[in-house]
Parts: sequence; C-alpha cells; structure tokens
Amino acid sequence: MNSTQSPGAAVRIENLDKYYGTFHALRNVNLSVERGEKIVVCGPSGSGKSTMIRCINRLEQHNGGRITVLGTELNDDVGNIDGIRREVGMVFQHFNLFPHMTVLENCMIAPMIVRKRPRAEAEATARRYLEKVRIPEQATKFPGQLSGGQQQRVAIARALCMQPQIMLFDEPTSALDPEMIAEVLDVMVTLASEGMTMICVTHEMGFARRVADRVIFMDGGEIVEEAPPEEFFTSCRNERTRQFLSQVLGH
Amino acid sequence: MISLLRNQKVRNALLQVFYVGSLAALVLAGVVIARRNLAEQGITSGFDFLYKSTGWDVSFSLLPVTANDPYWWFFLIGIINTLFLGSIGLLLATVVGTVVGLARTSSNELARLLGRTYVDIFRNIPLILQAFFWYAIITHLPTPRAAHEAWGMLLTSRGLYLPAPNVGGVAMALAILPLFAAVALPVWLGRTSRLSRPVGERLVIQLAGIAAALACAVLILIVGRLPDAPLLDFPALQGLNLKGGLRIPPEFSALAVAIAIYGGSYIAEIVRGGFKAVGKGQVEAALSLGLSPWRVFTLVKLPLALRAMLPILANQYVWLIKATTMGIAVGFTDFFMIVALTINHSGQTLEAIGILMAGFLTINLSLAAVFNRINKAIALKGNQLRG
Repeated sequence: MNSTQSPGAAVRIENLDKYYGTFHALRNVNLSVERGEKIVVCGPSGSGKSTMIRCINRLEQHNGGRITVLGTELNDDVGNIDGIRREVGMVFQHFNLFPHMTVLENCMIAPMIVRKRPRAEAEATARRYLEKVRIPEQATKFPGQLSGGQQQRVAIARALCMQPQIMLFDEPTSALDPEMIAEVLDVMVTLASEGMTMICVTHEMGFARRVADRVIFMDGGEIVEEAPPEEFFTSCRNERTRQFLSQVLGH
Repeated sequence: MISLLRNQKVRNALLQVFYVGSLAALVLAGVVIARRNLAEQGITSGFDFLYKSTGWDVSFSLLPVTANDPYWWFFLIGIINTLFLGSIGLLLATVVGTVVGLARTSSNELARLLGRTYVDIFRNIPLILQAFFWYAIITHLPTPRAAHEAWGMLLTSRGLYLPAPNVGGVAMALAILPLFAAVALPVWLGRTSRLSRPVGERLVIQLAGIAAALACAVLILIVGRLPDAPLLDFPALQGLNLKGGLRIPPEFSALAVAIAIYGGSYIAEIVRGGFKAVGKGQVEAALSLGLSPWRVFTLVKLPLALRAMLPILANQYVWLIKATTMGIAVGFTDFFMIVALTINHSGQTLEAIGILMAGFLTINLSLAAVFNRINKAIALKGNQLRG
C-alpha cells in the first residue's frame, strides 16, 4: 500500500479501526483510492466491507485512524462532514428512495436544498440523469410503482444529480432479481467508463473483472488481499481468498 | 348432486336468514317492551319535548341562552360545548404529545428519560382523577382582585378571562368558515402542485394559503363588528368581579388541561411509534445526499412518520372526543351533561339518550371520515416498496 502518501488521492484511509461495542469490526484498515479509480470490495458477509465504505461518508463513525476524502479530513467537524457528503454519492442495497416523492422530486430535492440550484436547473439535471439511467419516462411516478431494478437506477440518478466526485455502491444488486441485475450493472459500467471514482461493494465478479482497477478482499475486518483483477482472480496469495473465490465462481 | 344442507351456498344463505331474523326479532321485542313500560308509567314518548322551554340554565355557553329557551337549543349548545372542548383538548393534546413523543425519540438521554417519566405517570392515572386534580388547582387560583395578568388575559379562581371580539353572531359563525379553509387549503394546494413543484416551494404556497384564509377570517370579524365598539373587548375589574371579555370557566379549563395532558401521553406514544416506523435506510440516504439533520427531519422523517401515525391518531382523537363526557364530573355543561339534565327534568330518557348517541356518532363518524380521506390522499403509491 505504497500509494497512501500520494497527494491527489480521492479517499485515503489510514489505520482505520471501528468497534460495535466490544466487536472489532474494522482492524487497522489502510486503503488509498486515486481520482478516477474503480475499486471493487468483496468478501464474506460480516467481513466489514459495508462498514468500511459507510465510514467514508460518516454513516458510521470510526473509532481510530484517519479518513481523508478529497483532501478534507473526516472528523467531528460538521462542516467537513457536510462538505464530504456533498461530494460523495451513495447507492444502497435496498435503494432507499423517498417513497412520498416522485422520481423527479427524489432527484431534485438535494440539488435544490443542498446545492441551492434553481428549480428549472435542478429539473433539467434530474431529467438528464434519468435519461442516462434509461428511465426518463418514469419521472412522474412514485418509487413504489417501479420495479426493483428501476428503483435502483433512480437511486443512482438521485446520487448523480448532486454531481459528486466519488460514488459509493453498497451491494447495489444484492436485492435484485437476476434480470434486473444486468440493467443496474450496465449503468454502473457506463459510469465507470466516464471516469467516475467508484468504490463498489459487490459480489458481481464479472463486473469486477470488466471495470475494476483493483479488487480488494476483506475478511474479519481486515483487508487481506488487494490486486488488479487478473492477478486477483488467477493468482491470489491468500488461502481465504482462494476459498471465497471458489465459492462465488464455482457454479 | 350435492345434498342441499351440504351445499356451501345454501348453508351461507340459511345462516344469513337466521341472523337477520333474530336481529329483527330482538329489536322488535325491545321496542314493544319499551312502549308498554312507558305507557304503564304514563310517559308520553316522542320528540315534542324538544320545543318546550327547559326552565333551567347552563353554566357555560358560546351562544346566548336563557331558561326560556327550548330543549333543542340546549342540545345544540351542548354539542357546541363538546366540540369546543374537544377541539381545544385535541389541539393541546397533539401539541403536548408531539413534544413528548419527540423527546422520547431524541438522542438526548435526559429528554428520553423525561418523556418516559411523563408518559408513565399521566397515562396510568385515570382521566377523571386528573380532571378533579386540575379543577382543584384552578379553583384555588387568586381571586379576581389579585388576578394574574398577561397580554390582556386574566387568570383567576373564577376562570380565565380572554379579550373577546365585539362581533355579531352571524359574522362570528362566518369567520369560522375560513378557518376550515385554512386547514383544507394547504392539503389541496399540496396535491395539485405535487408534480410541478418540489417540497420547499409547496410549503411556501401552502403557508401563503393559510395566511390568506386567516386574513379572510380577520376581515370578516372587522366588517361584522358591533357599531361604536372597539374590535376587542378587554376584561376589567368592576367592583368585586370581572366584567367584559370572554370567560372560560374553571370547569372548561380543568377538562381541557386534563384531556391535553392525559391525551398527550397517549399521542406521545403514537408519535414515537410513527418516527420509529420511518425506515433507517431513507434517513441514511437523505444524510448521504448532504441534507442537514433538520432537513432530513422535515423532508423525510416527518412526512413518513405522519403517514404511519394518522390512522392510530384518528382512533385516539375519536377516543378523546368521547372523553369530553367527563364534563359531568366537574360540572361542565357538555353534550352529555345537557342530556343527563334533560333526562332528570323531562323524563324523556330514551329520546334523550337516542339524541346523545346520534350526536356522538355524527361527530365521531365525521372525524373518522375526514381522517380516512386524508389517509387516502397521502397514502404512498405503489406496492414495490422495500426497506
């Protein structure tokens, strides 16, 4: 992990520790993500991958170490937290759309209130991103009227409308039916090809192979393997990683 | 060919016939027995008594009343008193409940403890006891000569004296209409502009609607005010007593406070439940977009919690309206007390109770209907929601 010191890093995590009560969820995690880099994080459930990316926008509070996002340190300073959240979009496993707002309103609300964009501009941006995730015709519907895959694409559009510099994906396809996984992954691939900095927690190994610059394997709250995809899938060093890969790729 | 008695449809039909038949027989028997008993006691049944004058007085009325007025006028006064007490009680209970409920969901440990203590104490003491308690407190306030004064209001052992508008009855009644509009308008405006405007702008439009309706009410009051009199009549000491203004008697205040505090403890639990029902995911999503905690509260938590709360809240409101019948315990002339007095004085027990039941049914069914409409209007659309 020699990239830790580079000045232009989008996200830099140093010696991160996180406890839930007495449970040690993250142990001395170090990770540096350059601007424009795509990272895929995988690992068995309970290995701390979600916890790690949720620490990056302070949905979880870390107990030790340092997190620096786009040059700003994530600490108790509310201004820093707000500033970082503005620049870091997040997509969740269960979409988490606002069910009482239309798709369009879901996409417009944050740009209008947080970024103080005028309504017309926010709407134009929202429509543009809905176009990009290929559901412009659903703009006036409510989330509950859409399929899971459509909802997740709206969630991606909602995050993109804030025009963030970094996108976090927390198992974005885990709650979806197989045929809907593809439509969400397509959007993510497009996003990656446009140079977005992405950190994705996912078990979609095809996606990792195609898009990732680095694949990270976590187990027991630690990063145990970190390698470019070809190397990761063909010649990983760690026994635990090999076992995991044989389970996800085996069938 | 199925045997007739084993046929499901035939069986269901027979059961229906049996059920309806027994019900009709029961009602018929009741009516026949009642008629015979009444005839034996020499009581003429019927609603003619409504037009006779009562010969007694009520202690509190929003409308002019004398002992010469007929029973139907007294019933009307009773209903209005019940509605007045009910609406003030519900309003205060909702305010108390919201504050305590939010304290109970707060991240502050002291606030949570205070909220829990409040609910534990006031939810577990019978309402009638609380009504007596507040009545005792209020009747031990200072005499009119030593009244507490604030903003033209006087607080004494004889009641709370408020400045009252010098306005005719018709204008007063008309001024209530815009108040209803003030409630209905924002709901309607919120719906019609739903698709074209985001939440922030909708709120401004809704507030403007409320302001316009309130301005309308004030305008009606100004136009309808009595000639040669100031718009507001302030209470003042004359001799040993207070004159002028509107007197809210201790009986009313005691009940309103009791309902507010007792009902508030129940509503606090409903509010807490509503906020607990809001998905953690939606809140996290709002935070991750950079919305401030206050915005997350107003834009996500509150609208979603309200949807979870409304059906239970409607139930609680209906319950609290019925609790106004506690008026008879401290001597407030609500609908129930008027009916009780009517039975004592006229002996028309069945008719009076019939009117009482019809009155409460009308009030509470209307309330339920309004809430059902609101529920339907703001229900979340679609059935594909998760998390």
